[in-house]
Amino acid sequence: MGYPDMSDETAQGARSNQTKDDLSGQTFWGRLAGWTPYRLLIGLATASPRRQFLVLAALPIVWVLTQHLGPMLQMLRVSLTDAYPVAPGVEQHFTLDNYARFFGDRIFWQPFFRTLIFAGVFTFCTLILTYPVAYFLARHVSRKNQMLFLLLLLVPFWVGEIVRTYAIMILLGNTGAVNQLLKWIGLIDRPIPFMYTSFSMGVGIVYLTALYMLLPLYSALEKLPKSLNEAAADLGASAWTRFRRVTLPLTIEGISSGCTLVFLISTGFYATPVLLGGPSTTVFAETIAGFFHVAGDEWPTGSAFATIMFFAALVLTGTFQKLMNALRKGDSK
Amino acid sequence: MTKQTFSRRRFLGTAAAGATVLASPVYLRRANASGGEVNIWTYNDFVPKAFKEQFEAETGIKVNVRLVDDQGKQFNLLAAEAPNPSVDIMTVAGHRFLQFIDSDLLAPLDTDRLSNWGNINPTFSESDWSTINGHKWGAPILSGMEVLAYNTELVSPDEVKSWDVLFSEKYKGQTAYVIQDMMSIIMLKMGYDGNMVEYLGDPDKAAAIVDEAKEFLIEKKPLVRKYYDGGAEVQQMFVNQDIALAHSWNGPAAALINDGFPLAMTIPQEGSYGFVYTYNIANNAPNPDNAYTFLNAILASPEIGAAMTKASGFISTYKGAADYLSDLEKQSTSFTDEELANLKFFRAEANEMKYGLVDPAVEAIKAA
Repeated sequence: MGYPDMSDETAQGARSNQTKDDLSGQTFWGRLAGWTPYRLLIGLATASPRRQFLVLAALPIVWVLTQHLGPMLQMLRVSLTDAYPVAPGVEQHFTLDNYARFFGDRIFWQPFFRTLIFAGVFTFCTLILTYPVAYFLARHVSRKNQMLFLLLLLVPFWVGEIVRTYAIMILLGNTGAVNQLLKWIGLIDRPIPFMYTSFSMGVGIVYLTALYMLLPLYSALEKLPKSLNEAAADLGASAWTRFRRVTLPLTIEGISSGCTLVFLISTGFYATPVLLGGPSTTVFAETIAGFFHVAGDEWPTGSAFATIMFFAALVLTGTFQKLMNALRKGDSK
Repeated sequence: MTKQTFSRRRFLGTAAAGATVLASPVYLRRANASGGEVNIWTYNDFVPKAFKEQFEAETGIKVNVRLVDDQGKQFNLLAAEAPNPSVDIMTVAGHRFLQFIDSDLLAPLDTDRLSNWGNINPTFSESDWSTINGHKWGAPILSGMEVLAYNTELVSPDEVKSWDVLFSEKYKGQTAYVIQDMMSIIMLKMGYDGNMVEYLGDPDKAAAIVDEAKEFLIEKKPLVRKYYDGGAEVQQMFVNQDIALAHSWNGPAAALINDGFPLAMTIPQEGSYGFVYTYNIANNAPNPDNAYTFLNAILASPEIGAAMTKASGFISTYKGAADYLSDLEKQSTSFTDEELANLKFFRAEANEMKYGLVDPAVEAIKAA
C-alpha cells in the first residue's frame, strides 16, 4: 500500500521544512519576525483598519509635509523677516515691509502682470495647438499605434528644460534653421530677428508645456464614445456643430486640467524667459531671482514676491476651475 | 578716487621676473602627502584640469570644485552656511571683499604661509583694494575688465572709439549688455565716478546720478537686443550673429577670439572698469591647512596662470604667465596703452550706497 508510505514522506517533508524554518530563524529577518517587541509593535500598528490606514499614510504625509509644504512654509516665514540668511550678530525681526515694497512700487507691477498675461496667452496658444494633435491621436490613430505616438511625443522630455531651450535658440537664431530655410526659399534677404522677443519666448514655453496640455486632452478625448458623434451626425449635425455641441463640452474637464497645469508652470518659468526673452519680456520670476542673487542679496523680499505670485496664480487657477465647472454643469443641464 | 592704470608692459611683460619662478612642472617641492580634501567654490575653468589632477596625485588631497557664476549667489550660499561653512576656498572679486568681510565670512590671508605669494604681479597683490583693515583677504588669480566687443566683419574699429556706438540707430537691435555693469559705465561716460566713492557724503547727488543713468538706459531701451547676465550668453549671441557688438567681460570675448571667431574688443575712450578675481579662505573653513597647500600650489608656476588664461580668457595675475601663451592668446589678453589709460578698478567703499541705488534702477530699466 502506497498511502501510509506517502504520509510518511509528507511527514518527513514537513519535518525538513521545519528544519529549514529553524535555520531561517537564524537570519536577521527571521530573528526580527520572532522578536517579541517587534511582534507587539506590528500587532499594535495593525490592530484596527484605522490604525493600518494611519501607518500607511504616515510616510506620504511626512513626505508631503517636509518636501512639498516645508519649503513653501519656510519661504513664507522668510518673507516675513527683515534679514535672511541671518548674519552673525544680527537680530531678525518680523516685518511686512517686503510685501509693502511690492504694493508700494509700481516698477514691480509691470513684470507681475506681464507674467500673468503671458501665461494666459501662452496657455491659450498651447491649447489651440495641442487640441488637434490630441484629437488626431485619440480618434484617428489605431489603438495599437497610440502608445508609439505618445512615446514619440515624449521624446523631447528625455532631455532637460535648458537643452530644449537651447534647441529653440538653434532654430530661431539669426543663423538658425528657420532663417536659413526662409533664405534658401528666397522669402527673405536678411534674417528675421526672432530671438529675444515675446515670440521666441512664446515658442519656447509652448514647446516646453505642450505635453502637460496634450496628456489630459488625450485622456478626455480617448474616453469619449464615438457613438455620441455618430448619433449627432445621424440627427443631421454638421462637423462643426458636432465638435461644438458634443466633443468640446465633453472634454471640458481635460481642457480645464491641461490649462491649469500649463498656466501654473508658465507663471514659474525662469530659465526659458532668461534665455529666449528680450528687454521687453522681463517676467516676474526674473525679478524674484534678482533679489536672490544678481541684484540685491535680499532673500526676504524675493520670498515675499514669490509668495505673492504663488497666491495670485492659485486664485486665478481657482477662479478658472470654478468657471469651467460652472460651464460643465451648465452644459449637462 | 585712486585711479589705477596698467601699461601693456606691466600687464604682460613680466617675463624677467617670471623666469625665476619654477622651471619644473612639479608644483610641490617636497612630499606633502597630507591627504583629506579641499572644497572650492569657483567659476568654470578657474582650476585647470591638469593642475588639479597633478595636485591630487602629489598631495593626496581631493579637490572638490563647486561651480558658481555670480558673486551675490556665492555670498548667499556662504551666508546661509555660516558660521560653519562647507567650503574652504571661494572666488571673490576684489570689489566685493567688503561685503564678505563685514559679514565675517572671510578669514584674513596669512601670506607668510604662501611661499609662492611673490609670484603674483605686485600690481595686483599690492594694490590699494587688496589690503583692508590691515590684512590681505585673497590671492589675486585672474583679472578682467568691462570691454566693448564687436564682430569685425560687421563693425569697423573706427566705430568703436566711444561707448555711444552701443546706442546708435545704426546698430539698433544688434547690441547687448549687462545692465548692472552698464550702469557704472554710463556713469563714467557721463563724467561721474561710477564707483560712487566721491559721493559717499552726498547721497542726494548719488541718487540723482543713478537716476540720470537709469533714464538714459530706459530711453535707449528700444535699441538693445538683449540684457544678459552670463558670459556664455553673449558668446552664444555673437556666434548666432544675433548681435554685432556688445558690452562684455574680456574673458568670454577673448575665449571667442581664441576660437577663431571674427571678434575684437576695445576699451572706448570714455574708459571702463577692471576687476580682479581672488581665491579666498572661508572664515572657519573645515580644511584650512589643505586650503593653504592648494593656494600655494596653484600660485607655484606661471604655467598654471597661463592655463587659467587659456581656459577662461581672463588675464593672469601671475608674473611671466604671458610667456606661455600663443600669439593669438597674447593678443586677446592685451590692450594698447591708449586703451588702458582710462581703465579704473571697481572699488568697494561705496558699494552699499551704490547698489542700494543701482539695484532698484536695474529693476526699473528691466520693467520699463
